[in-house]
Amino acid sequence: MSTYDIIVIGGGAGGLAAAQAAAANKTSVLLIEKDARLGGILNQCIHNGFGLHHYREELTGPEYAEKAIDELTDKTLNIRLNTTVTKLNKEEDRFFVTYMNKEEGERTVTAGACVLTTGSYERTRGAIALPGTRPRGIMTAGSAQRYINIDGYMVGKRILILGSGDIGLIMARRLTLEGAEVVGVAELLPHASGLTRNIVQCLHDFDIPLYLSHTVTDIKGKETLESVTLSAIDAKGRPKKDSEKHFDVDTLLLSVGLIPDTKTFDGITFKEDPRTGGAYVDQHFETSVSGLFASGNALHIHDLVDFVTEESLIAGKAANRYVHRLKNKKKNHIRVNPGEGIDYVLPQRIDTTSKKHPVTFSFRVKEENAQATLRLCQGERVILEKKRRFLTPPEMERLILPVKKTLDVETPLTLHLEVDEG
Amino acid sequence: MYDFIIIGAGITGTMIARELSRYKTSVLVLEKENDVGNHATLANSAILHSGHDPKHGTMKARFCVEGNRLYDDLEAELGIPILKTGGLVLAKSEEETRILKKLKKNAEANKVPGVCLLGRESLLEKERRISDAVVMGLEVPTTSVTYPWEVALRAMENAIDNGVEFEKNETVRAIERTGDSLSVKTRNHTYKAKTVINAAGAFAGEIAAMIEDRVPYTVTPRRGEYLVLDRRVKGFISHTLYPVPGRKGKGTLLVPQVHGNILIGPTSVFQDALDEAPTTADGLAEIRRKANKLVSDIPFDKVIRTFAGIRASIDKKDFHIARSKEETDFIHVAGIDSPGLTAAPAIAKYVVETIIMKKTPLEKDPGFNPKIKTVTMYHDMDAAARNAAFQSDDRYGRVVCKCEMVTEADLINHIRRPLGADSVKALKKRARIGSGLCQGGFCEHEAVRILAETLGKKMTGIDYYAKDTPVLLKDTKAPS
Repeated sequence: MSTYDIIVIGGGAGGLAAAQAAAANKTSVLLIEKDARLGGILNQCIHNGFGLHHYREELTGPEYAEKAIDELTDKTLNIRLNTTVTKLNKEEDRFFVTYMNKEEGERTVTAGACVLTTGSYERTRGAIALPGTRPRGIMTAGSAQRYINIDGYMVGKRILILGSGDIGLIMARRLTLEGAEVVGVAELLPHASGLTRNIVQCLHDFDIPLYLSHTVTDIKGKETLESVTLSAIDAKGRPKKDSEKHFDVDTLLLSVGLIPDTKTFDGITFKEDPRTGGAYVDQHFETSVSGLFASGNALHIHDLVDFVTEESLIAGKAANRYVHRLKNKKKNHIRVNPGEGIDYVLPQRIDTTSKKHPVTFSFRVKEENAQATLRLCQGERVILEKKRRFLTPPEMERLILPVKKTLDVETPLTLHLEVDEG
Repeated sequence: MYDFIIIGAGITGTMIARELSRYKTSVLVLEKENDVGNHATLANSAILHSGHDPKHGTMKARFCVEGNRLYDDLEAELGIPILKTGGLVLAKSEEETRILKKLKKNAEANKVPGVCLLGRESLLEKERRISDAVVMGLEVPTTSVTYPWEVALRAMENAIDNGVEFEKNETVRAIERTGDSLSVKTRNHTYKAKTVINAAGAFAGEIAAMIEDRVPYTVTPRRGEYLVLDRRVKGFISHTLYPVPGRKGKGTLLVPQVHGNILIGPTSVFQDALDEAPTTADGLAEIRRKANKLVSDIPFDKVIRTFAGIRASIDKKDFHIARSKEETDFIHVAGIDSPGLTAAPAIAKYVVETIIMKKTPLEKDPGFNPKIKTVTMYHDMDAAARNAAFQSDDRYGRVVCKCEMVTEADLINHIRRPLGADSVKALKKRARIGSGLCQGGFCEHEAVRILAETLGKKMTGIDYYAKDTPVLLKDTKAPS
């Protein structure tokens, strides 16, 4: 059985960064990717807007992927492409990863640590239980993006998009440029789910209407899609009577959310955060299973790939430290809770014995706020206080806790948001 | 000229075809869709009922109990999957308890084996998540679950192996008496047969009206909606759970499926359309409400799909299986709603051995082979078989659908079977690709590519489901 120090599962932006960091100090790393090339979903994101934070320049998805791939220079890094992981288990202190590919068939390899950078999958029609018939012409926005940008095929001529997530917005523009008529984008929430820049550049610039507080209430067509009905919804989320708008379209794209994808292989289970759908981690991105790390969209959904990279570099480094540690050191965890106005916050716990690095908290707010004060507290004690402007749920926010701040080793941390008046 | 033409390749038509293939006779099956079992057979509760529920003395009762038994043979001969869940009918009040006791008497009259009443404590030992409201239950141990669509597929493949002919995409437009035969006309062909068997499901009324002035029944299509939970909820419940039956039938059930999913439904709503089954917000809400009354803490966050099906009900409480009074060479097999799946093998025997043989004796074909050559999918193989499969074809090493663990070789096998897949949904029905968490988000493009390569078609020539429903409309790389 082949043995590695660290196995990284998933070769998208997260996996590339995790593998790069993990392979330092002659550490043997196996990076497993199910597709034929590294880069993951970046390869189908041919638009620009990537890399402004991490590489300080504006790149397309494939360019970003290429830069990340070029940074994989360690000779101790092994890569398997076209390879799917089917099982992940831990026995005593070893991880056992079973994978399949056309060269080796089904094989099990072992490692001292593992990083999950498996990305996310798109929420589907079934998961949101859209009513109506089930004809040809309904697919996720990401599937359409793959068909158009990788395979080179158009999926529709007249198109409605449900969900104003970034992929949906990007696809509204992409399909328009490719010659389709995008008749509108509908959003269940009273505000858009995607980044503001995408609303402007993908909808406003192309005169594509955005229907806020609307959802699909009927789908018609026996074999191929014929029409989609949108209804306005009230404050309780119920469709308003007589608000129906009918659209004769041949295609309905869904951009209704991404879900961390860590459940599609069998074996190990770890504690999950119901708010993110991903693992419950500490500041080193270590899950409830010792030696198992998770980062990127496999952990929580990001709006910017740059932060996937940054997070995964930390996870990879932590996995590297983990396998080189002589014996398990004793840890002391305190919980991190989302307080008033906060939807979720990561990490969900902090190991107070580890004080060498600043801790970056990633979080999303529940509602739009023009100006607010963020307070990280232990009980009544305020550890950190920051004022922020224009906080909105679609944009992931970050807060850095410097090394010099000392924490009480018993009291949980809570991140509060207080809206500033005026 | 054929001895028999069967119209419709749902569970009833395919079972009759297989039953007839035991004899020295010529049979043609005509199907308007591009695959077998595309309607009621595809979208139902998948239960092999014990026969506790249909009223004693009806065809439904008789064929349900007999059919349930015959599925043991089908499991051995056709390799269809059967999950022996057993059933529990759950009563939530004094009044429901009285109905339950009547149901037990009915079950005993129908000769359903092993039925017994259980108190709440015994029920909890069997199914710990039943709701607090449940006070008593009726255990029906012979209730099982199968994959209905695959039963029809395998029955049809076995019938074809034994000489039956099958034509898909053939919609019957007229039936006429011409001399000693009946002519069955489709858009491009006229087929002749001595006897025509109407197994057209919800379309049985339309087919019958082609040859009869007065059709002895009216089809009253009844829609049923369902929710499907991801297979990772396996073990949440282990029995098929029924409420006490009401005016509208057996009610909203919770059914563990052969692949690990849990099915919750159906609703029961009359509608006009014969083959269009939309889901509705109200219907799906009703299912949740009713299911919550039977079972606590149902993980509705694990819903991966919703669907609806149409029951081919008629304006009578029983099946209508008889020769036409106006045209004796035309046989009605109509009104096959619940428990039609369970009853189908018994219905097929009755149609052949009683209705047909009473008039025309048939001679057994000694060459009949009841068994089918099945292809085992990679995820069902043991380690040695997996290794051998990979050594013979490296495409067994390529996982296409990671949610359900389906390999490229599995897909090619399903495309190349005698009744192979030629659309994305046909492949989904056969190989479960796209049946998991991502619902095809990761793998549909690979399914399209593999279909195109294996069938020698262009990517734009691969249908989503029905004929002429291409997934991809235009090749942007091709010169326009």
